[in-house]
Amino acid sequence: MSVKSFFLSLRNIIRAIISGEFLLRIRVDKYYMHIMYLFLLMWATILLSLQVDKTLARVGDNKVALERLRIHHAEKEAALVKLHSASAAEIRLKQLGSEATLPSEPATIVKSK
Amino acid sequence: MTKRQSEIKDNIENRDRIHVVMFFLSYFFMALSVMILVWIVKIQVSYSVDDRVIGLFRPTEQKHIETPVRGRILATDGRPMAISAPLYDIYMDCTVRKQDYRDSGKDSLERVWRAKARDLATYLSNEFRDKSADAYAKAILEGRDKGARYLRIQRNIDLSTLQRVRTFPLFKEGPYTGGIIVEEHEERIYPYDSLARRVIGYVKEQNRIGLESSFDSELHGREGYEWRRVTDNKRWIRDLDSASVKVQNGNDIRTTLNVDFQDIADKALRNQINANEDIRAGICIIMEAKTGAIRAMVNLSRGETPQTTLWERENLVLREVGEQGSVMKTVTLLSLVEDGYVQSLEQTIPTNNGFVPNYRQDVHILDYQRETGRREISVMHGFEISSNYVFTYLAENYYGKQPQEMFDHIYSYRLGEAFDFDITGLGKPVVNRPGTPGWSKTTLGTTAYGYGLSVTPLHVATFYNGIANKGRMMKPYLVESIEKDGKVLRRFVPSALNESICSAATADTVTRALKAVVNTGTATRLKSAKLQVCGKTGTAQVVLTPQERKGSADPYHDTMGRKKNQGTFVGFFPADDPKYTILVTVYSYLSGKSFYGGTMPALAVREIVDKIYALDGDWAEVLHPVATVPDMKKTTEK
Repeated sequence: MSVKSFFLSLRNIIRAIISGEFLLRIRVDKYYMHIMYLFLLMWATILLSLQVDKTLARVGDNKVALERLRIHHAEKEAALVKLHSASAAEIRLKQLGSEATLPSEPATIVKSK
Repeated sequence: MTKRQSEIKDNIENRDRIHVVMFFLSYFFMALSVMILVWIVKIQVSYSVDDRVIGLFRPTEQKHIETPVRGRILATDGRPMAISAPLYDIYMDCTVRKQDYRDSGKDSLERVWRAKARDLATYLSNEFRDKSADAYAKAILEGRDKGARYLRIQRNIDLSTLQRVRTFPLFKEGPYTGGIIVEEHEERIYPYDSLARRVIGYVKEQNRIGLESSFDSELHGREGYEWRRVTDNKRWIRDLDSASVKVQNGNDIRTTLNVDFQDIADKALRNQINANEDIRAGICIIMEAKTGAIRAMVNLSRGETPQTTLWERENLVLREVGEQGSVMKTVTLLSLVEDGYVQSLEQTIPTNNGFVPNYRQDVHILDYQRETGRREISVMHGFEISSNYVFTYLAENYYGKQPQEMFDHIYSYRLGEAFDFDITGLGKPVVNRPGTPGWSKTTLGTTAYGYGLSVTPLHVATFYNGIANKGRMMKPYLVESIEKDGKVLRRFVPSALNESICSAATADTVTRALKAVVNTGTATRLKSAKLQVCGKTGTAQVVLTPQERKGSADPYHDTMGRKKNQGTFVGFFPADDPKYTILVTVYSYLSGKSFYGGTMPALAVREIVDKIYALDGDWAEVLHPVATVPDMKKTTEK
């Protein structure tokens, strides 16, 4: 193909595109359904990919939230357990001015028949 | 023009065209090579990378390492004794936006920032209460003037505090305006503070002790990783196309420790030794007789000087290998009864003025002779008053010709080996048996009353537990199970070190002797305990180091006559149906005073026994209703 004929073809293509006849001229209309199908697939792929990204971002946020809850739980558990010893109870009772002390006799157990 | 001439002309024209093309091509490539050379020189000399260019080459994926959460160490009832949680350090970049404000030429922006910094100082002062608001404000504003980019605000704060701090003025504007810098570091939280800290232990780089060290592979878990990519919204998300390894958090360790018993033992020991600055350390073991499960293990000690506070500094229960004194007379008695040399505890031996050839005279026998006027003493009474003479005489008399026989017993009681234990580092006993360098003609006798044989307190407690368990010597253990999210992965069942160290009849006979020690012997302070305790006291002098001896020829005394004592009480309770074996030992500094097993250790044991009696449901009074309460609802309906 000479340079002249190349530029001539290019001019025709541009004109056809501008006048909206390009696809008809190259007889693509018979592949219309295929093109639409391809377009739909691509659109669906992009949409799904965006949704996956969004979901994974939420998963990341939830992981952070869960980790924070775990830390809170550990801190609160430690604080509670600290109070849950005989010595801690004795000290607390003393601070509150209570006369109650740790038991000196075992508890009496009532067993039902 | 002929055809031939025409062909020649065409050839020449073609050649000229090729020449022209080749000419331009060669110039093009020449120019290109010159340009490349110029670029190479430029890159080498003066090229600086444009940020936009870096952006193009920056990887869109990052490898994210996920560290596992360390497993918890639990008490036997599930109460956590060690938990992992992150703590945070807060720093401040005081110079944040300073240059921007200066460049913009608006002084008002800088003034607003400084006003917010003063507000922040007030909030920080109210939150942490360690410095005044003025002190905080001064530090921040001076830091801004001097260019401090890393001003320490507070260290080791928890997540709740951090979340509050993030809402403070200036800090709530984030790192790029507020200058807040948060650094996270994983920390181990011990809710019970010093309680059983030596047993729980820790892992800090090269320093590894206790259960944290022995079970590190279980507690640690396994690191994971995942590749992350950035989304169009600049969010980092997991890249599902890349390989990832899921993080595995550490398993939990459920110990046999009973927090209440540990607390009671710790407090009872402190009550006895806290005020006495001659006491260097005190230990306590409480072991379940039937299983060997250790319910409490206390290791309190002071530092080099008596002024230091009592703390769990070293695991003396496992590592203090030493001569245990008279508590080892039970070893001799058990062997003699088992071998049939002592048929009855009432069997008598001559007193011989407390003298056995080659041995030091036992002056207590002279007192006995004087008080009773008798020239013979029963084995039982010798055990009650803890007579060295009686046990030297018995050992020499019955094992003198066959000393190996007695040492075979010692080995069968596992007093000659460092048996397997859940915490590494159990001290190896030193047994001066026949044929070893430490053996002499007096070793048999001294071993019979507790010297010459060096063991750890855990060995002693395990031996007494064997007697409490009618001859079945259980292996002491500290870990019950390995768990994951409450589900048991592996359970450790009790096992025996020696299925039978003696017959049940021998164990009963020795138990009778141990009861007599508490009733009429050296441990009468335990007579009034709320559960009947039986056991043996022991007072031993500790061999001094050459530095402590300061030139003294006596291995037990320095030149000023001072010595190091250890007083022990070891036994079990209730005597008739033993549930727990208990050992308490106190160790003194170099001192002129003596510390006996029948004093501080016995008093600590009494306090522990009384409190366990009140807390343990086993001794509770059980009431069975003898009548039924009428159903009042039915009566009313009628």
